[in-house]
Amino acid sequence: MADGNPSSVSEIRAPSGFGLELDRVTLERARRGEMTAFAAIYERFGGPCYNLALRVLGEPAAAEDIVQEIFLKLMGSLRGFRGDAPFGAWLKRMTANATIDALRAHQRFRDEDPDALFEAMPALAADAEDRADAWSMLMRLPPRARAVVILHEVEGYTHKEMAELFGQSESYSKSILARALKRLNDVVAEPGSKEAMDHA
Amino acid sequence: MREIPATAFDARRLPVFEPDPALWSRIAAAHLRRRRLRQWGFAAAATVLLGVAGALLVRAPQPPSPQWADAQRESQALEAEWRRLADGGRPTTIGLTRLRSIDAALQAAYDRGGDASEVVPLWQQRNEALRGLIARFQDANTRDASLVTRI
Repeated sequence: MADGNPSSVSEIRAPSGFGLELDRVTLERARRGEMTAFAAIYERFGGPCYNLALRVLGEPAAAEDIVQEIFLKLMGSLRGFRGDAPFGAWLKRMTANATIDALRAHQRFRDEDPDALFEAMPALAADAEDRADAWSMLMRLPPRARAVVILHEVEGYTHKEMAELFGQSESYSKSILARALKRLNDVVAEPGSKEAMDHA
Repeated sequence: MREIPATAFDARRLPVFEPDPALWSRIAAAHLRRRRLRQWGFAAAATVLLGVAGALLVRAPQPPSPQWADAQRESQALEAEWRRLADGGRPTTIGLTRLRSIDAALQAAYDRGGDASEVVPLWQQRNEALRGLIARFQDANTRDASLVTRI
């Protein structure tokens, strides 16, 4: 991680499927508009696109809409892919942009102030089962905080990249990330939680 | 890489979900629909363009016959020559009245949508008139030159 922030998982990144390679032959066939090549690309990258969108939006139908939008766009614009960056990174950027746009479109981005974002959110009072369930805990965060956590912790976005994506300063995403991870970690560390007992 | 503290949120524990197995077929169908729509759009646009071009061709004046085109081209060349001579010489109105009356007749013939049998003779008359004007200028210049030689 490039920008050293207070995350307790800052050096351990969950694997992201966008790191998979795409061979030149498939890419060239897709550029020529062959449907079988697009199907092969979907086979490899459909899952990572879906999971990124789902983890941020929290709704399977909304995540499927994003995947459909991305692949339809891909089929129309693949000729414009110059290959300067790895294909997966290009696709990840498209997916992240579309997901953030979807958040904006559903007005889940109204509150731009990180303080207000977390004040409006109830405390993460999780039961014992939820504490062990990273998904349930993530879903308790506001969508924007989820976006920052997922983009940074899973997809490897730097704060500089997130500043461009959100149209905010770098300190904006740093502040949201620090608060979100503190909330999540406070819940995990609560006395009586499975992790705390194992640790003891 | 270091160990995750036991009391830390671990993004690696996030489950990985599979999208609906039918999602790809929906995407492929949507793509084919779009492509078909685009093809229909191009075809419709091409049909409209061809229709408009056809209508314009039908309504436009008929292209002149070779005689018509030759007479018109000759007239333009003669007019350019006459203007060149007139710019360097003395202004004269001799012969201009005839030229103007031929131009008016030509304009009227065009306005009526006159055919070659009407328009070509008028272009030929115009060319005769222009040749007369040019000859007058050339004669006048020759006279001036001989006068200068005598002096």
